[in-house]
Amino acid sequence: MEKGTILEVKNLKVYYKTIAGDAKVVDDVTFSVYHGEIFGIAGESGCGKSTLVEGVYRIVKPPGYIAGGEVLFEGVDLLKLSEEEMRDIRWKKMAYIPQGAMSSLNPVLRVEEQMIDAILDHSNISKEEALEIAKKSLSELGLPEAVLRMYPHELSGGMKQRVIIATAYALRPDLIIADEPVTALDVVSTREVLQTLRELRDKYGATVMLVAHDMAVHAEIDDRLAVMYAGKVIEIGSVTDIFYDPLHPYTKGLIDSIPSIAKKKLIRGIPGIAPSPLNWPSGCRFHPRCPYARDICKAEEPELKEVKPGHLVACHLYGGD
Amino acid sequence: MGDAPLLELRNVTKIFRGGGPYGGKEFKAVDEVTFSMPSEPSILALVGESGSGKTTIANMILGFLEPDGGDIYFKGESISSWLKNRPSEFRRKVQAIFQDPYEIYNPVYRIDRLLKITVKKFNLATSEAEATELIRNALEALELRPQDVLGRYPHQLSGGERQRLMLARILLLKPELTVADEPVSMLDVSLRAVFLNYLEEFKKKYGISCLYITHDFNTAYYIADRAVVLNLGKVVEIGSMEEIIHKPLHPYTQTLISSIPIPDPKSRWEERLELRRLELKEIRPEKGCPFVLRCTHAMKKCEEVKPSLVDVGGGHMVACHLYGG
Amino acid sequence: MSRVRNSSKIIVSLKRVIGILGKNNKLKIGSSIFLALLVIGYISPFINRLRLGDKRPDALAVGRRWEQPSIKFPLGTDDYGRDIFGMLLIGTMYSLSIGLLAGAIATLIAVTIGFISGYKGGITDHVLRTFTDTLMVVPLWPIYMVIATYTRKLPLETVAILLGIFSWPGAARVIRAQVLSLRERAFVKLAKLNMLNDLEIVFTELLPNVAPYIVIGFINSAMGAIFAETGLRLIGIGPPLLPTLGYLLSITIGVGMLSVRPYVVAAVVAVLSLIFVSLNLINIGLEEEFNPRLKKVTGL
Repeated sequence: MEKGTILEVKNLKVYYKTIAGDAKVVDDVTFSVYHGEIFGIAGESGCGKSTLVEGVYRIVKPPGYIAGGEVLFEGVDLLKLSEEEMRDIRWKKMAYIPQGAMSSLNPVLRVEEQMIDAILDHSNISKEEALEIAKKSLSELGLPEAVLRMYPHELSGGMKQRVIIATAYALRPDLIIADEPVTALDVVSTREVLQTLRELRDKYGATVMLVAHDMAVHAEIDDRLAVMYAGKVIEIGSVTDIFYDPLHPYTKGLIDSIPSIAKKKLIRGIPGIAPSPLNWPSGCRFHPRCPYARDICKAEEPELKEVKPGHLVACHLYGGD
Repeated sequence: MGDAPLLELRNVTKIFRGGGPYGGKEFKAVDEVTFSMPSEPSILALVGESGSGKTTIANMILGFLEPDGGDIYFKGESISSWLKNRPSEFRRKVQAIFQDPYEIYNPVYRIDRLLKITVKKFNLATSEAEATELIRNALEALELRPQDVLGRYPHQLSGGERQRLMLARILLLKPELTVADEPVSMLDVSLRAVFLNYLEEFKKKYGISCLYITHDFNTAYYIADRAVVLNLGKVVEIGSMEEIIHKPLHPYTQTLISSIPIPDPKSRWEERLELRRLELKEIRPEKGCPFVLRCTHAMKKCEEVKPSLVDVGGGHMVACHLYGG
Repeated sequence: MSRVRNSSKIIVSLKRVIGILGKNNKLKIGSSIFLALLVIGYISPFINRLRLGDKRPDALAVGRRWEQPSIKFPLGTDDYGRDIFGMLLIGTMYSLSIGLLAGAIATLIAVTIGFISGYKGGITDHVLRTFTDTLMVVPLWPIYMVIATYTRKLPLETVAILLGIFSWPGAARVIRAQVLSLRERAFVKLAKLNMLNDLEIVFTELLPNVAPYIVIGFINSAMGAIFAETGLRLIGIGPPLLPTLGYLLSITIGVGMLSVRPYVVAAVVAVLSLIFVSLNLINIGLEEEFNPRLKKVTGL
């Protein structure tokens, strides 16, 4: 059964103006997210994943700018909407939890006040109704109501992040985008938060887009994920595909280089250094570090092609030749 | 050979006072911690979350802080004695790698300066030419091309390169013990194992032991032979890496191990986490076991009496009343 | 051989600093104006020599009383026949000198106390901080007035010292805060692991990072001193034989030129304004450069 598509990103480009020219941080990215799934965006630092979601949510700030493409959310191209129309969508239909959100909680206000403020900012209801919504949101995520009367510093990291998620989910958006939600958290909090996100999908049918550099996080809760390298998406597939049958040499290298308590073996890592957005390599951007690079890889950029059902890769090894 | 252990902490305690010089609350950042590293080259993982006291322990081993109780011994002699009588010898033998590749360099100078000062202050070379040679060799041993790295300012290099330069410095000195405080947590995951491979190589080739301080069991498992698990300043379990990972005894260790995200979609967490009082920040209980407020097996005894480390066989030690602590 | 290399290292780092600073417009404009004022001020004795021969512009009866502006006396003379334009020129020199000297003294004290306080910590820090804070609350103007009434004939240096001695607490606090935060950074720990002693750490690791704040503090103190001296003059306090811009302002206003020849007063005010504007521009430019710059350099 073909699941409905909730978000379709087509050829999105987000560039940054610098003295040395345009930094092509997100360079022609295409992918789709289906209803009710947890979709991951994986990649190491500098690959452009945070900028990608900023582009989707239309919060790119100068010197960054959207240089092209379409972002179809439930059929509507967000890039063509006015700021007014965009404001109607943000929080109500699509919510975004930025990196480091939990440190932006106001330390002098109780949780209750901050949640109500956020809810009132994006809706036209009364304070009492907002409080009710906040309470409901917290209880749905398994958080005790007592949390409302607390101050942020009294809560653990994991708890703060779950409060943020509850706030983001309060108005029942269809899509929640979380950028590195567990990076600063300890192991126990990480588990709490990821399980909460999974619950959002299991119990309430929300769609979650999760940006993280830690592949283990993706393995734990994603259904499908996209792997980014040097501003481009180089592979998309189900979580089993990516971890058990990685096609792109970068993805293979990435999966192989993760230390894990599940297996003990010598890891060699990926040779070379990640390139800079001011100077992407020609052709396939991974060619300087790829053990399988051929002449065509230096000359021509490979296209993202569906090589197996639901499994796409941008690599000349699978060019259909 | 029957030598004194390389490093030994005996009942080390460190108390911090919050709230200024006129009183304020006291808390024990490190509470009677005891563990040791053998004289043969080894890698010991000191595992704990933030607030467990691991960085304070590192600072005490390096001599930046003095213990309030107990003492730390390097090769049988106390650290304070080393620093008083033979400081340069101590510094030659005990070195460190820090977590943040951005913070370890003074932004005003080129990175060469750090290596040149190391060579100069420890008299590793007798001439300028020899110093340059030593530095180049160290860089090349770490697969860094001298022409790409020398003469640069820190902001011109990537995090991975900067952290590798730390290893180059260690290679120049060849200390007996490296205290590595979260050396890879700010690096991309694909770079972590590569970095850790060097630490392993240093142990095998040059006999450099390493105290690997981290919150990440995945990397600890990759290079350490043994582990010490800390919770809120107290040691809760010590054992070989295999035992800690596959047969954890202390409820805290068990919670940690079961909560580690595993990069394998076929082994996901099944149940929800079962801990009491999960919402609050971890509070340091005044007495008893540090984990008592959250432990699902907590008994009355656990609130009153602090469990002591008990050897349950084969060098596996645990501090928990469930095992007769 | 190493002395040559050391001095060339300093030149190279100075060049680098100037390179970075040269790009900021505020710094360029501010420092050009200030440099121009400085030059004019210090060559003013020669200019006046050319114009007036051996006579000082503030000597009585250089010209006739109340002379109209002319080529010889571009701003005319006052009721004592003193050459106002000449006084404007040397006034610039005197005011700037007071500012720079007071600034230097204040900065020296601020750096010493700020560093000792921040680096040593503990009781030393506590004592010094209490001392600094107490001094900060002491009102300067009453002190100046008391001192001024007891001293009629004060040379420039003494005035500068007095102004400097009381204006260092603000800068000391900023420097202390900087040193405190730098002290905990990993590169300082690494320096200790490299066997650098405290003095070496203070001078080679900390000082270069605190330098921008020291310069900003210096400029603030200098401006404060010029402002204080001018203000005191306007209420009649200060050694009468020190022909600063403040002195010039007080006598021209006092003798009624505001209504009769307002352009004279305007000229003095204009020069004072230029001094403040240029110093402020330098300050803002420095802050612009070194705050985001430090962030960029550390990669944050």
